[in-house]
Amino acid sequence: MKQQGNAETLKQLTRRHFFAQTGFGIGSIALSALLNGKLLSQSAAAAEIEALNPMAPKPSHYAPKAKRIIYLFMAGGPSQVDMFDPKPKLIEFNGQEIPQELIKGQRFAFIKGTPKLLGSPHKFKQYGQCGAPVSDLMPHTAQIVDDIAFIKTMHTDQFNHGPAQIFMNTGHQIIGRPSMGSWLTYGLGSESNDLPGFVVLLSGEIDPGAGNACWSSGFLPTTYQGVPFRSQGDPVLFVSNPEGVSAETRRRSLDLIRTINQKHLATTGDPEIATRIAAYEMAYRMQKSVPELAELANEPEHIHKLYGTEPGKVSFANNCLLARRLVERGCRFVQLYHRGWDHHGESPAKDLMTSLPRLCRETDQACAALVKDLKQRGLLEDTLVIWGGEFGRTPMNEERGGSKFLGRDHHPKAFTMWLAGGGVKGGVTVGKTDELGYNPAVDPVHVHDLHATVLHLMGLDHEKLTFKFQGRDYRLTDVHGHLVKKLYA
Amino acid sequence: MLSENRTLWLILCSFSLIASVSAGEVDFVRDIQPIFKAACYSCHGPEKQKGELRMDSRELALKGGSSGVMIKPGNSKDSLLMHRILGLGDEPRMPVKADALTKQQVELIAAWIDQGAKWPESASVAAQLKKHWAYVKPVRPEIPKVQDSAWVRNPIDAFILARLESEKLKPSPEADKTTLIRRLSLDLVGLPPTLQEIDAFLADTSPDAYEKQVERLLSSPQFGERWARPWLDLARYADTNGFNFDNPRQIWKFRDWVIDALNKDMPFDQFTLEQLAGDMLPGATQDQKIATGFHRNTMLNEEGGVDAEEARWETLLDRVHTTATVWMGSTMGCAQCHNHKFDPFRQKEFYQFLAFFDNSDEPLLRMPRPNKEAELKQVVEEIVAVDKQLKENKNDKELKKRFEDLKKKRAELEITTLVLQERANSTPATDFRIKGSYVNKGERVQADTPAFLSPRKADQPANRLGLAKWLIDPDNPLTARVTVNRFWETLFMRGLVETSEDFGTQGTPPTHPELVDYLATEFVAKKWSVKTLLRAIVTSATYRQSSKITREMLQRDPANKLLARAPRYRMEAEMIRDSILAASGQLSLKMFGPPVFPPAPELKGIVTTNKSSISWTVSKGEDRFRRSVYTYWRRTNPFATFVTFDATSREFCTVKRSRSNTPLQALNALNDAGLFDAARALAARMSAECTSMSADARLAYGFRLCTGRHPRSDELQAFSQAFEKELAHFSSDAAAAKSVIKGGTVPLPPKLQEPEFAALTMIANAMLNLDETISRE
Repeated sequence: MKQQGNAETLKQLTRRHFFAQTGFGIGSIALSALLNGKLLSQSAAAAEIEALNPMAPKPSHYAPKAKRIIYLFMAGGPSQVDMFDPKPKLIEFNGQEIPQELIKGQRFAFIKGTPKLLGSPHKFKQYGQCGAPVSDLMPHTAQIVDDIAFIKTMHTDQFNHGPAQIFMNTGHQIIGRPSMGSWLTYGLGSESNDLPGFVVLLSGEIDPGAGNACWSSGFLPTTYQGVPFRSQGDPVLFVSNPEGVSAETRRRSLDLIRTINQKHLATTGDPEIATRIAAYEMAYRMQKSVPELAELANEPEHIHKLYGTEPGKVSFANNCLLARRLVERGCRFVQLYHRGWDHHGESPAKDLMTSLPRLCRETDQACAALVKDLKQRGLLEDTLVIWGGEFGRTPMNEERGGSKFLGRDHHPKAFTMWLAGGGVKGGVTVGKTDELGYNPAVDPVHVHDLHATVLHLMGLDHEKLTFKFQGRDYRLTDVHGHLVKKLYA
Repeated sequence: MLSENRTLWLILCSFSLIASVSAGEVDFVRDIQPIFKAACYSCHGPEKQKGELRMDSRELALKGGSSGVMIKPGNSKDSLLMHRILGLGDEPRMPVKADALTKQQVELIAAWIDQGAKWPESASVAAQLKKHWAYVKPVRPEIPKVQDSAWVRNPIDAFILARLESEKLKPSPEADKTTLIRRLSLDLVGLPPTLQEIDAFLADTSPDAYEKQVERLLSSPQFGERWARPWLDLARYADTNGFNFDNPRQIWKFRDWVIDALNKDMPFDQFTLEQLAGDMLPGATQDQKIATGFHRNTMLNEEGGVDAEEARWETLLDRVHTTATVWMGSTMGCAQCHNHKFDPFRQKEFYQFLAFFDNSDEPLLRMPRPNKEAELKQVVEEIVAVDKQLKENKNDKELKKRFEDLKKKRAELEITTLVLQERANSTPATDFRIKGSYVNKGERVQADTPAFLSPRKADQPANRLGLAKWLIDPDNPLTARVTVNRFWETLFMRGLVETSEDFGTQGTPPTHPELVDYLATEFVAKKWSVKTLLRAIVTSATYRQSSKITREMLQRDPANKLLARAPRYRMEAEMIRDSILAASGQLSLKMFGPPVFPPAPELKGIVTTNKSSISWTVSKGEDRFRRSVYTYWRRTNPFATFVTFDATSREFCTVKRSRSNTPLQALNALNDAGLFDAARALAARMSAECTSMSADARLAYGFRLCTGRHPRSDELQAFSQAFEKELAHFSSDAAAAKSVIKGGTVPLPPKLQEPEFAALTMIANAMLNLDETISRE
């Protein structure tokens, strides 16, 4: 208590110092902190520098249950009825036309006429204490059902990939609003001072999608946009020095830049120069920390076994392990995209019998490994893991152009997502779909509700996290959003 | 929600019932006015009239506000006032910022309304609605009197100084000449001055030396390139369609048109007319048609399953939003789903405004490439002929191939650009959309301008041309104010109205309201000349102040709203790259033409879009060193350095870019291949152009190329020591030296050994990364 008081006094002293001094004052505090090689967050001058740093950690509205998020985005729309939401009635009525009243007035992306119901060709069993059903396609996820909570009744407003992905990320179907990760780093900053606060990791095939609009900062400052790590070359753009420039050479040139900038700070008194000096120092730290972070080979063998990782390969598994390493280092929001779930059934490469099982194999083990690994490290309790696509798939066979391969069209009305950790209760299932899996029957959860709940778990009130743009206060949840209390209460 | 509403409704009904039965005769002065006074007046009284509603005047209260009639005498159930104080419907409960009225108060008001809402004249003020300042036509204000009149160079200064004096602040002294010429050059042409230009200015001791520089820069061809940047952000100009396909489009003729118009100082009213309605001008020229590309810069979604009507609707919404933002500083988009909550735009007016744009076709304008007229004509004739034959022999493979070949050939001979073309024989109209949903059509509405602004005149018909004329009519209270404010913002980093995108009641009030009106009226009086406006601003004493920040300034006015100093800020993305290329001597000043591809990081390992068919093949020769305004603008993945330094994607109209200061910027400026190559070129330039062979002379020369000034001795010493260290390092590591100097475009300079060149390159790289190099002071 006393210690805290002292730190607080010191902070106020330095703050007073800042206001009493010119910009040079703050610059010299900043620089002494930097030159001493202290972590900014530990130094007395931290508050001064961080007042200028848009990524400095900020207090939440109330005590958070989760401090960081790993979002496993299954782009393309995974088929809930073949993975998590078994529907015996579909098997019973397999091949029969869907009742007209269910699809009246609905637009589909591809289905024409009256489609036929399609029972899942994959078998389900119940697992864990909670007895959650999981299909044979996801044997590893089946082992962690007691740690995760399913939402069976997710629904969205959009039925095309691009708009639906943007909707799932920004709460709006048209490009231009900030994504969830941007809102969170805007609201909470980042706890890492040598890595980006919002990182995007990509794997899988090229699929229709909204691309980098999914991690855009929209009208928020671009500082808050997601930084996509590259799977080839530098993980972060420009993080490597040009050829022939060693770390020592770079350190010397940074010393030179700092010296001259420091002199100029004294002449002009512009605090922005102090921020720039700090930014260059962080850049230098990133040059070390990013390659170290990306070096998966340093992980022990049992971890590679757990995840199914192969260092050097581009894979979802590698990205899961990278995500764990990122949150360990204080990154606020890591979003993984694995693409290829768009199983319309137009060919074996896009059907339920060949392609869907392959996608499950590419992701199942690593997803479960991530949750287990976070748990064994004590990180799961305050790390929220989210799994899901932009929409689900129809309970009906698409039969595009009379295709004989099994497939399903886009289905925004009811699909499954799961969450784990970060205050979410394991073994819970929220919502129930109707007997055909077409509509929510109990407890529908809209995308806005999910957003409100995720912000809540992070200690943010979705109605209070706002940014003024074009004359009005915008929110991630726009004017909607109800907390899904069953997930955590 | 529905059931909740119903419950409240029942409460409301029972209130009326109870009230009318039990309350007896309600007396307005005794029972009602005190409630209004306590609960309503602060927002709907003499000071403010939010939602255009005033509750202290009988006439105005009964008339209602922008939401409609509030009080229906004799019918409390249908009176909006009751809905609002009970919080029914989607609107917030009134009073918004205070506790709800008590049950008794609600009952009293209901009873009063049911009894006929009697309101004696004696209890009403003869009041008028005070119009929001920005909706009243500006009049030229008196130039204020100031104490320190010697400081004043032109009327702008009088306005600024009057405010400073009232705050007991003093302006800063004039900046030194080197800073001034660099500032002026960056601001007017987006490039740092050459050393020759600096020297000439320093040597010129005539009283109008500064003004001569202003004239030189205003008439420079680079002027239009610099000022095109903010306009192209507004116009959302890009070279691709956007969305996940993001295919290429050809509309660079529009970009060239903007540059050319700015260089010619095309009056802003004409500039407006041609971009909004060039196709409708009598005898429209090719250039005037090209100008209509302004509203063809909207995005295009080519994803499968996209509803064509919805896509077109989104385009129209974008045109409304962009027009309202650029010319009216208005957030009209808020009225798409309901009446604007804060400004007097009614929902119907949103659709009337949209109707102006719902009567245009969107063709391609074709024109021959220079000197290809005859050849193109021949190919086009052949295409027509083959097309005719094809109609007769649909399956003729050879004909089909011939047709495709000819089309390819035509593409090589012609330039195309996207334009608007008004439909003949139909009047602009559109369907009202209930709650803003494009599928939910309501009544048909004809094009018209919002009623609360200046009325459309006889020569301003209800079409796009009429809209453009109405916008530039001197009676329009917004256009000139919004425009001068944006120019001011570009130079001072902050508009006189800080919310340059919103002049409505939710925007911030101007820091210097009279100055806004002075500049706006002068702008119109001086025939909308942008160069005249900029000349007035940059020759003011206000502009010419030093940007040094003192302790007092940081305490009194940290955001520099009062302008007791000039602003100092990091340059915008394009200016940074252009300045670096200018310092390195690589910059090409070649103007106009198709967009170019400077070196950019490969996109491997970061698939950003779906099926983008654009390859980024680095341009050859001088094209890789062209000014940034010519860089290919790929919406889903703009040029990396631009993104890092806060350029926008150009997906939508942007008035103001953010200005961040991040580690990714540091990494970009230090390590980007193109910028590192500029360091090699700067090093080569230090050795080639510097007459002295001494290392210090070279370093001083390089520093001056970056910052415009001579280094002080302590600074030079730092460079000198750093250079010695690098020289020692590269002398002992020949391989590293070789690596540093290879891989770019710069050969080993004749006067230098490899280690020396490598060492000098590293110092040049540092110089290009100095805060001062990338700042405008």
